[in-house]
Amino acid sequence: MTGVQRSGRRSDRQRADQRAGHQPADEPADGRRSDRQRAGRRRAGRERSDRQRAGGEWAGRRWPGPVVPGRLPRVLRAEWTKLRTVPANGWAVLAIVVLTWAVSVWTVGGMDPASCPAGRRCDLDTTLTALSGVYLGQVAVVLLSVLVVTAEYDTMMIRATLAATPNRAAVLAAKLAVVTAAVLPAAALSVLGPLLVGRLWLPGRGFTPAAGYPPMSLAQWPTGRAFLGSVLYLGLLALFSVGVAVTVRRSAAAISTMLGLLLVPAIIAGLMSDEHWRDRLQELAPMTAGLSIQATKHLDTLPIGPWAGLGVLAGYAAGAIVLGTVLFLRRDA
Amino acid sequence: MTATGTPTRPAPPAPAPGGRDGFSRLLRAEWTKLTSVRSTAIVLLFAVGLTIVVSLLNVNGMRVAVHGSGPQYLDRFHFVHRTLTGDGSITARVGSQADSEESAKAGVMIKASSTPGARYAALMLTPRHGVRWQVDFARPDTAGSSDGAPRWLRITRAGQLVTGAESTDGVTWTQVASGTLALPRSVEVGLFVTSPPRLKIVQHGHSVDAGPDETVGRATFDNVAARTGAGALAPGAWRDEDIGGLETRPGGPGLPDGFTPPVPGTSTEAAGVFTVTGSGDVRGVAPEENQGGADTVKNSLSGVEVGLIAIAVLGVLFATSEYRTGIIRTTFAANPRRVRVFTAKAAVVAAAAFGTGVLAAVIAFLVTQPTLHRNGFRPPGYPYRSLTEGPVLRAVVGTGLFLAVFALLSFGIGTILRRSAGAITLVLALILVPQLIAGNLSLAAAKLINRATPLAGLAIQQTREQFDTPIAPWPGFAVLCGWAAVALGLAFWLLRRRDA
Repeated sequence: MTGVQRSGRRSDRQRADQRAGHQPADEPADGRRSDRQRAGRRRAGRERSDRQRAGGEWAGRRWPGPVVPGRLPRVLRAEWTKLRTVPANGWAVLAIVVLTWAVSVWTVGGMDPASCPAGRRCDLDTTLTALSGVYLGQVAVVLLSVLVVTAEYDTMMIRATLAATPNRAAVLAAKLAVVTAAVLPAAALSVLGPLLVGRLWLPGRGFTPAAGYPPMSLAQWPTGRAFLGSVLYLGLLALFSVGVAVTVRRSAAAISTMLGLLLVPAIIAGLMSDEHWRDRLQELAPMTAGLSIQATKHLDTLPIGPWAGLGVLAGYAAGAIVLGTVLFLRRDA
Repeated sequence: MTATGTPTRPAPPAPAPGGRDGFSRLLRAEWTKLTSVRSTAIVLLFAVGLTIVVSLLNVNGMRVAVHGSGPQYLDRFHFVHRTLTGDGSITARVGSQADSEESAKAGVMIKASSTPGARYAALMLTPRHGVRWQVDFARPDTAGSSDGAPRWLRITRAGQLVTGAESTDGVTWTQVASGTLALPRSVEVGLFVTSPPRLKIVQHGHSVDAGPDETVGRATFDNVAARTGAGALAPGAWRDEDIGGLETRPGGPGLPDGFTPPVPGTSTEAAGVFTVTGSGDVRGVAPEENQGGADTVKNSLSGVEVGLIAIAVLGVLFATSEYRTGIIRTTFAANPRRVRVFTAKAAVVAAAAFGTGVLAAVIAFLVTQPTLHRNGFRPPGYPYRSLTEGPVLRAVVGTGLFLAVFALLSFGIGTILRRSAGAITLVLALILVPQLIAGNLSLAAAKLINRATPLAGLAIQQTREQFDTPIAPWPGFAVLCGWAAVALGLAFWLLRRRDA
């Protein structure tokens, strides 16, 4: 966590300086100089034009606060720096990819074409099976997304962050943005593994076009939807996790809540014997509903349709973000 | 910490004379830490509540698949026979018998009629159980010599008395058994072959079917002779037919994909050698075979699969929370023997988990039994279960043991990682994700998960063996103990080496 503190401190100071720089009436020269020392050439240029504009508009008047377009990128940069400079986050991003790949190799290897009776098609959903790795990869997504918020609360660095950027909505928006920016590429990379494994390995294992398994390709729609949807699923999950983390604020509690919300309904559904209520639970729980996007066969047996299922997860994410935002804006840090 | 307090004041918890049994004080200190945190009680209540609710959800929709008491006997075979009037005998030499199933049967039979269930006496060879003698589905049957084919077999009927005899050469005969059987004057005598189905488990896509898979028995007979009481060959011709159709088949006619369907038996004769094939079984059925296959006790306690999540979180937090607040330094300053401190911690958290588990299991068992009875799980198919029954007691106490060891595993991981977030993630991923992935895997891989992951410990809740039982109760529990031992061993090793 020392990384967060260090980087947080650095960026806070930076931002404080920047703010000073925005108040030309107070001490423009000072702010300009320290800014230029810190920032790179390109960045400095853009900030200067910012400042010129701000200076022109607000010259001689009181600075109204940071709610100005052009302010957000700086908050973003600060959050991005914080995310980037904690080694654990790098490991978490790596874990998203590695865990997904590893489980996918295992599940594809575990698929047994010989279990199909001779001369029959057993109609395995190879895409769904290959994408099983998302079950484990999502744990890393949750860990990363939650910690981006709660690590600051654990160390109380959040007070420094909010002192530097009193616009809490901007802080939260920036956190959501950088988490999404970190998770989406990792998610895209992680489903590439199942795609490669499915494309290169499955035909050799008896899942041939002749047996009713055309080569896995993103161009085929249900398959493409499953892969694209899995990336979206992980992205929405990151947003959901940030919302829950802002609401709960403690690492252990937020992680338990998130993993509980995701995994426990699935376990309970597996234990439920009443089909009606099992289907209700599966269409209402965020993970079981959201992962229905991975199905490419037997869609009629799903408790909820692929896009509708992803919509349920999006609803959870939106609800958590709204709740988190309201609490974040109203509570003391 | 060996200093004694002033005698006049009420002493703090009895300072132990000497350092040796300071352990009880350590236990007391850790117990106070555990119980004085309000969230501990909440977590434990959560564990009990989740276990009970999920167990109820599990049994709520369970229904007994087949009502009624099930068949009393199996009577399906291929029969090559002719009519014998009055006394007489049927003799044949079984030249060879294929080992299609260990209880496949080939032999001679005398039967009141060719209707399934009609009275009979039969003397037969089996591939692995030697010569057997059956009268009218009586259990158990009678064993003759333990040899296989070739072998001579003969059944003699004299009025109501039937006698079975075997011979190696057709000259010297040994009586296997005899019995009385109320037979009509005219009976069917002849050769029969049958071979029971095997239990087969087939994976279809993402679902698993278990059912009977037909085997075909094959045997050759020679020196076949049906004689009247006077010793003359009985008149008439050999007829052959399958006795007992599909409807008497245990699994019923609706056969899922992947199972060998029953094939009609055959019979050919060339130069006095009969080659007969047939499928099915001829035997009485024990009442316990008609009991349903469901392990209702395991279902009653299945909610612990979810309740354990609360225990896992408790186990982790009991290790990590002192690190988070830095109190751990105070704890170690007060008692520098770290391993002892953490042993006390582990004992306390395990004891709390054990009590919680037993309490949850007893309540869940008692609460779910009425629902199970209402849903048809009652005698004769399902005898009433009681908490004092050996396997049930093992399941209930075992649930407590399971949670205790699981808490130790979580505590060990918490001690290793020292960070709540990482440790909780790891523990939950370790227990929950394999369960979720198992559904997408082949049978072998799914079985491996149920054998090798910490959840193998749940096997201790089994009270009866099922076709898909991955591991026996105590070995399954031992697997969990192995995980916990490794985690705790590593934790204590790191505890000694690292700064707090």
